Amino acid sequence: MELTRRSFVKSTAVALASAAAAGTLAGCSSLAGTGSAAASGEGVKTVGVCRFCGCGCGVIVEAKDGKVVSVTGDPENGSSRGLNCVKGYYLARALYGEDRLTVPLIRDDKATKGTASGLREATWDEALDLVATKLRDTWKADKSRLAFWGSGQQPIVEGYCTAKFWKAGLLSNNIDPNARLCMASAVVGFMNVFQTDEPAGCYADIDETDVFVTWGANMAEAHPMLYSRLTARKLADSAVRHYDVTTMTTRTSASADKVLTFRPGSDIAIANAIANYLIVNDKYDHAFVADHVQFKQGTENIGNATDDGYDKSEIGQAVDNVEPITFEAFATRLAPYTLEYASELSGVPAEDIQELAEVFADKSRRVLSLWTMGVNQHNRGTWMNHCIYNIHLLTGRYALPGDGAFSLTGQPTACGTAREVGTFSHRLPADLVVKNPDHRRYTEAVWDLPNGYLDAIEKPGYHTVKMFRELSKGNIDFLWSAHNNWAVSMPNLTRFLGKGDLTGVNDAFICVAEVYPTLSTQYADVVLPAAMWVEREGAFGNGERRTAVFEKAVDAPGEAKWDLWMLMEIAKRVLAGEQIGGEDAFDHLFGAWYDAETAAFKGTDREVCASIWEEYRTFSNPDLNPDAAAINAEAKLKMEAKQLAPYEEYIHNHGLTWPVREVDGQWLPTLWRFCDGKQEDGFDQYGIEAYGESGLAGGVSFYKSADKRPSVVFRPWEPPAEEPSEEYPFWFCTGRLLEHWHTGSMTRRVPELDRALPEALLDMNPADCERLGVTDGDRVRVTSRFGTCDITVSTAGRTRPPAGMVFAPFFAEETLVNLVVQDTYCPLSKEPDFKKTCVSIEKIEG
Amino acid sequence: MRIVAAAGAAAVFAAGVALAAAPPPLPLLRPPGMASPADFAARCVRCGRCLEACPYQAIHAAPLNAGRAASTPFVNARAQACRLCRDFPCAAVCPTGALAVPEERAGAAMGTAVVNEETCLSFQGMRCEVCYRACPLIDEAIRIDYRPREGDAIHAVFAPQVNAEVCPGCGLCEQRCPVGDPAPAIVVVPTGADEAAYLALRNDAV
Repeated sequence: MELTRRSFVKSTAVALASAAAAGTLAGCSSLAGTGSAAASGEGVKTVGVCRFCGCGCGVIVEAKDGKVVSVTGDPENGSSRGLNCVKGYYLARALYGEDRLTVPLIRDDKATKGTASGLREATWDEALDLVATKLRDTWKADKSRLAFWGSGQQPIVEGYCTAKFWKAGLLSNNIDPNARLCMASAVVGFMNVFQTDEPAGCYADIDETDVFVTWGANMAEAHPMLYSRLTARKLADSAVRHYDVTTMTTRTSASADKVLTFRPGSDIAIANAIANYLIVNDKYDHAFVADHVQFKQGTENIGNATDDGYDKSEIGQAVDNVEPITFEAFATRLAPYTLEYASELSGVPAEDIQELAEVFADKSRRVLSLWTMGVNQHNRGTWMNHCIYNIHLLTGRYALPGDGAFSLTGQPTACGTAREVGTFSHRLPADLVVKNPDHRRYTEAVWDLPNGYLDAIEKPGYHTVKMFRELSKGNIDFLWSAHNNWAVSMPNLTRFLGKGDLTGVNDAFICVAEVYPTLSTQYADVVLPAAMWVEREGAFGNGERRTAVFEKAVDAPGEAKWDLWMLMEIAKRVLAGEQIGGEDAFDHLFGAWYDAETAAFKGTDREVCASIWEEYRTFSNPDLNPDAAAINAEAKLKMEAKQLAPYEEYIHNHGLTWPVREVDGQWLPTLWRFCDGKQEDGFDQYGIEAYGESGLAGGVSFYKSADKRPSVVFRPWEPPAEEPSEEYPFWFCTGRLLEHWHTGSMTRRVPELDRALPEALLDMNPADCERLGVTDGDRVRVTSRFGTCDITVSTAGRTRPPAGMVFAPFFAEETLVNLVVQDTYCPLSKEPDFKKTCVSIEKIEG
Repeated sequence: MRIVAAAGAAAVFAAGVALAAAPPPLPLLRPPGMASPADFAARCVRCGRCLEACPYQAIHAAPLNAGRAASTPFVNARAQACRLCRDFPCAAVCPTGALAVPEERAGAAMGTAVVNEETCLSFQGMRCEVCYRACPLIDEAIRIDYRPREGDAIHAVFAPQVNAEVCPGCGLCEQRCPVGDPAPAIVVVPTGADEAAYLALRNDAV
């Protein structure tokens, strides 16, 4: 019998199910020892989660003779229940590119920076000594001149230990993740509206809704398997509708019953017009508003954060200010946003906006808003997040199954690590922030630090754009980056890479932990070869609050090492001779897991991960630490609200969505936050019992919000940072496409994926092409006031920008679209606007 | 980093062409704009001007062991497909009318793409559809048939469907298809070829 891929997936499922039935799941790695795998002659199967996007699809990894031979969908994973996109299908190949980094590399001559040469092989000791010496020297001389740039792809325990080293060990807040480039506006939106950074809903909302509204989201390409789920829902019920609110027609528009194509930056006007329509026509949910909502307005006319001085300017320091207002005042503020005004600003017909408003008004149907980078990578990204929640809170559509607003996350553990662990310049683990004294006390309790120890990091450090601006200006002496590729992914690379003057980047000492050579390693003084994905054990937290472990399946090649080992080795060198509370500083922070003398972990990968997790878990289980419990009670921090389970539970259950509650010895996940109902059905029973109220409108209780009332904040439409002009007549939008993950450093080394999409193309409107005299396949030069890149034009229609707009993906380092993209950021979230740089386009003759 | 898979595929194709030397001959995928295989065979003088005109180096001369087809132009789509230039420079330079500039891209008449539903990842519920997104006539020559997946409430099948009336057979789908074993899951059957025989030969050749 020919074993087709599908039957293989089925047989995998059966093997897993039988293993589970036999009670052998004391760690699914024990699948390795089950008869089914051994007897069949197949390899060893372990449980994992996909390395790429925020969908967080579960996978079964099969390894044979020390090599991963296949990756298939995990039917037991609650987020995906089997199947992958083509990236996940070929995931095993991502480990085996020909040029894996397997030996530490050192650059002796800084003049070779920015080239593919100049790195020589070194021993680990030499490389680690060099990195640690540079870090220690910088630290001792001027702490403001060191930085760590992390990632929404950095596994959870590594992120946790990195944050602990940086914040407690070095007492520095100059640590930020690449999640700043993708989720920061969503985060600030969550914090401003709900005072908790989390989506209330889950992926199952997709199965239960009646109307999808996608806002600035190309799910079909950026969240492939969730879009499959959306499509399945639509096919299951012909009454289900989809409205695509977008600046250009994408593959996601294919399932839309109506596409609302708006002029870039005008989405806030549309959202406000919908809110205004609902109030003016008395079509909002009075009971929900009365029970759950408070109204506010904030600082307006906030300008644009294009220049360095913005954050410190008068307006820059006032952007977070809000004040309470009455419902009537809120309605008055909205009043100018008539359908006609929104139509005038956006170009969307007034009747289409009205139709969408009526969708929200119709309480017989459930409505699910989904959004991603079009909303977040926006000069008013935080505000647009607000405006979506405003509509949902006014209509009582939040935190209810199928009736909600769901911020889709981009990276596999942007939630799990960057946000939940808190690897940002202003955060501490578990939603705590450095500027709050109670939060610092709580963190000191968990980390066993002297009282007041963390007062030294009361002030936030450099956010990502600031960090790289300072680097380019020569104000950073030491940069360590891991799980990212900043020399491709940062906006305005022309500026960060020095506009030809590389002084800042050249003079800084840059350490890059990587698995393959990238443009970032071309600027590195030291390259540390890292173990990749299942070459070590790790965990990710995906877009629906699901934490999932990926087991170690194979050893790393050559001398490549687990990032956590690198961190321990560098931390022990940097902290040598330092003390915390009268004890050796390194041992105090990491001694439970790592033996500095023997340079080895005190246990297997599994044991170390579980032990670190147990400490991390204390943040959300204060009862594990009496001092923490006392602070939690006194300061009313409600830390149990995001309760995490013991490590093994995540392996047994193939991932769990938090909060996870222990009920009769079982750890039960939560699918719908703040929604009353039985825990075993996925509702937030114990959270509401502990902190919330029953019997309120909608059966929800927002117990994490101030006064248990989320904030509806009036946010005005303000124009984009720049608008098309005679000199730069086109909007330039960048994004992700299905075949490649981010900067392509992994997926372009998979021959099948490279074949599938070998080059980045500039999608253009045929009318623009005709006007410019360019045609499909022509090379053009794209120029903004920031920089220039050359690219090939396509009019095939994969995406269909309207006239006056062009689109290109950012995966191709040889095209490097980020040379062109502005680094203007949302003043609140500091997340750059990758979607609306103004450019000129000219044909390259010859 | 660019991974060039063309060389291997070309070698494979050469084997196919070699087979064509024996009867019955394997039809070749011709450059765009022929009227029919017989008309093309009668008119083509093997001048090689279409090869030189192609900006993508997609057109090659059949090897000498290809029998009567030796030195005639063909496209190895898996290695480098025809990009359906809007002005068809290859056909424009043809001195004999063996190739004539088509009135529209859909009229290139090179062949028709055929999906192998057994090996196609999309038919198995994966989100792939690379052929569809690569198609220069997206939503016309290839469209997606969205189907429920049996016994699975949370995934749909995104089934690529070729519209034979529109598909010009440029082969970009075949070139881009991430499946390669035993053959791409979408293959262009040249105009005039027997579909089953051609596909069988392509599968065996690899």
